[in-house]
Amino acid sequence: MSEADRRARAALSRLTEPGDPRLTQLVAELGAVRLYDLLVHDRDAGGMLSDVATRLASTDPDRELDRAARQGIRFVVPSDDEWPAQVEDLVAAGQLHERGGPPIGLWVRGPLRLDRLGRSVAIVGSRSATTYGERVAGEIAAVVARQGCPVVSGAAFGIDQAAHRGAVAMDGPSVAVLACGVDRAYPAAHAQLIAHLAATGAVVSEAAPGCAPTRIRFLARNRLIAAFARGSVVVEAAVRSGALNTASWAGRLNRVVLGVPGPVTSAQSQGVHELIRKGGAALVTNGQEVLELVGQAGEHLVDDPRAPVRPRDRLTSRHRQVLDAVPVARGAGTDSVARTAGLGIVEVSSALSYLHRQGLVERDDDGWHLAALAHT
Amino acid sequence: MPFATAHTVSLHGALGHLIDVQADVSPGQVLTTLVGRADASLQEARDRCRMAIINSELVWPSTKRITILLSPADLIKRGSHFDLAIAVAVLAADGRLPRAPLESTAFIGELTLDGGLRSVPGVLPMVLAAAERGIRRVFVPEPLAREASMVPDMSVFGMRSLAQVVAELRGEEVPESAPVAPMSGSRLLSWRGAERLEEVDLADLRGLADAKYAVEVAAAGGHHVLLTGPKGSGKTSIAERIPTILPPLTSEEALELTAIHSLAGTLEPGDGLLTQPPYAAPHHDASKASLIGGGTGYVRPGEISRAHCGVLFLDEFPLFRSDVLEALRQPLESGDVTIARREELVTLPARGMLVLASNPCPCGDYHPKASVNRCTCSEKVRRDYRSRVTGPLADRIDIVRHVEPLLPHESADRFAVPERSEVVKARVDAARRRQAARYDERSWRLNAHAPGPLLREHWPLAPDGQRLVDDELFSGRLSSRGAVRVHRLAWTVADLAAVRSGRDVSPGADEVQIALCLRTAAPLPAGFAQVQAS
Repeated sequence: MSEADRRARAALSRLTEPGDPRLTQLVAELGAVRLYDLLVHDRDAGGMLSDVATRLASTDPDRELDRAARQGIRFVVPSDDEWPAQVEDLVAAGQLHERGGPPIGLWVRGPLRLDRLGRSVAIVGSRSATTYGERVAGEIAAVVARQGCPVVSGAAFGIDQAAHRGAVAMDGPSVAVLACGVDRAYPAAHAQLIAHLAATGAVVSEAAPGCAPTRIRFLARNRLIAAFARGSVVVEAAVRSGALNTASWAGRLNRVVLGVPGPVTSAQSQGVHELIRKGGAALVTNGQEVLELVGQAGEHLVDDPRAPVRPRDRLTSRHRQVLDAVPVARGAGTDSVARTAGLGIVEVSSALSYLHRQGLVERDDDGWHLAALAHT
Repeated sequence: MPFATAHTVSLHGALGHLIDVQADVSPGQVLTTLVGRADASLQEARDRCRMAIINSELVWPSTKRITILLSPADLIKRGSHFDLAIAVAVLAADGRLPRAPLESTAFIGELTLDGGLRSVPGVLPMVLAAAERGIRRVFVPEPLAREASMVPDMSVFGMRSLAQVVAELRGEEVPESAPVAPMSGSRLLSWRGAERLEEVDLADLRGLADAKYAVEVAAAGGHHVLLTGPKGSGKTSIAERIPTILPPLTSEEALELTAIHSLAGTLEPGDGLLTQPPYAAPHHDASKASLIGGGTGYVRPGEISRAHCGVLFLDEFPLFRSDVLEALRQPLESGDVTIARREELVTLPARGMLVLASNPCPCGDYHPKASVNRCTCSEKVRRDYRSRVTGPLADRIDIVRHVEPLLPHESADRFAVPERSEVVKARVDAARRRQAARYDERSWRLNAHAPGPLLREHWPLAPDGQRLVDDELFSGRLSSRGAVRVHRLAWTVADLAAVRSGRDVSPGADEVQIALCLRTAAPLPAGFAQVQAS
């Protein structure tokens, strides 16, 4: 059964476009084997036949799988141990741009098993990023990867490659999800990066080997990035950006959506700002904060940023009231301090001796004045 | 005719005047007069010349009235290098020397009592000035012959004594003489700090793509740069490497720079023509005179002139005295520095790249993130420091970059291959050649020096780029001075883009956008800042 299922799914992956909702529907209803059988025997199912007819004749799943195996590419299907169960969430996530549903199978190159992506973090953003965005994306990826959480992204210029490079620099796991076949390097300038990820992490695609990266496949690919990861971080995105599409998918999948702010004047950050402003994403500024929000509850808590504790901060409010009444330079008597503080003389005199022990006030012939420590 | 003329040169800053030294030897009251606004050291020349002539076994006309005129008479003349010309003029006027060889010949050198010659500073600018006024032969003290021969089409005679000069002029065999002592102010230590800088390369620095692109633009267009960032982030390292991406000086620039160093007395006899762009990094205690130029007596060029055509780096510039920073403003705008003296105005070239660096606070540890902030400065100290960073000097800076310390993932990035200085230098050189071709026949060579009105008229921005500038002007984010600077920067960005792409690029919206980023310290689009890792 399982090999027949794999054959059928491999064939369907070749025959259809990734993320075609009709296909997922039919596979769920009929099973992949039955559906492929119908199509092979020229029987229509849900109007699929006319779409796939031109490709049908040239499809041979056995040869397909055989050739892939020779190239070091495996085809992972839901019955495999390696199947990343979290992508099944896509069943209930609806459609965006007429794409949706779980993948029928995943073509994978690289040693990282897909069932290890449960703790992964997606880092996405603009292709025309700024140096600021690339730096932050790299930093987040490095921190996340050091904790052993895989980084998931595309393989495009800008934020995608910066994220992978950050993870790879820390020898952490990193996964590139492509819109084209995993045997292709797109963009060509990233051939070396993609080869490195295939050797140390994983390169994944829903599209069969040899497929070209088309616009519609990028939209389908974005839903996979969001589905793999436990949370998605958008680093820089202009108002119309694929990264926002990924963020929408992450929202639909009830995953954590995070956004890194940029300068308010930067066009590259406007999409992220919009996302945060509308409540679609939580604001993060570094890798630690991402881990805190994406990890298990309480796993990576971040200390709230706070200013260093000063001696003054430890005083009670009444002691502080007395300290505020002590003059800076010229000394004043206890009664004068009490008058200024508006407190009783007994309390003030005991407070002054306490402050004196703490080194905050000093006394000379004229009376009390502030010590150097009180200025810090 | 008891009258003869010899030529020499008087220096006012880097400006040389050809001086006619006329001597008249006639019967009359025995007296030697020197007229023509000579200063004290020059008045003493009479005595030096007389004894030098006598001790060279030549004849001083001691029974005649000798009048020596230095013309033009209205110019103040100072220095001891007039001696040789005076002695020659007197001898020729007295008929002891043929007069014909004195024509189109200049004499430079101080005489000692035994008739020997002494070295004087500033020979190169003197000979340059002489060449411009039609002088074809020059007699100088022997150690300076090499310096003088840098001037094209000039026959240089390096001489050791008056006796040798006289023999040469008479066409006789030149006698032996004791060698000339080197310049009195010669450096005892040969260390110049430059050796260390010869080894550095831009590829030594990982990351910093943003700042590297900024200095590439600065080097290509001659723009001034401000680098800000916490201490240890690499500001100085970048500044030190800017000379490595500057192309060698053109012959014209090399002569200018060598002339300045000759004036400053910092030219060693073996140095030859300075062909590499200079780098000067004065400490923040530096006085105004040492930075701008000045001093008592004759004007010594300051660091700003010695960095002409190179890099003047002011580390921690808010710590410089405010009068020093104020004094930098005028040279930054005009490319030369004017020093007013009692009766004269001296102008020296000072067209270098200014590179400023500043920390976020005096202690250098301030960080906006509370968890990393280790600053110990008080709020007021920090505020004062910052007000200097944004002072009037900063408004004259084209490029502002924030440099952040390298993060661990950046230093371990295996896909980033830093470019070597050589590669960047080739692009800078090509971009400069584009500018030279564009500004052919004009008085400036680089975008940063192009006057705003001419730029707008002859080399405007594309309409979409101009609209972007207008928007910024209209919203008040850009001053009109800033708009001119953005315009110039956009041209340099376009020149570099043209070099990288091999296509002709003129500045439009994209280039203006980058220029605005560079000026406002906003992060750059990543594609511009680095050559993509492959």
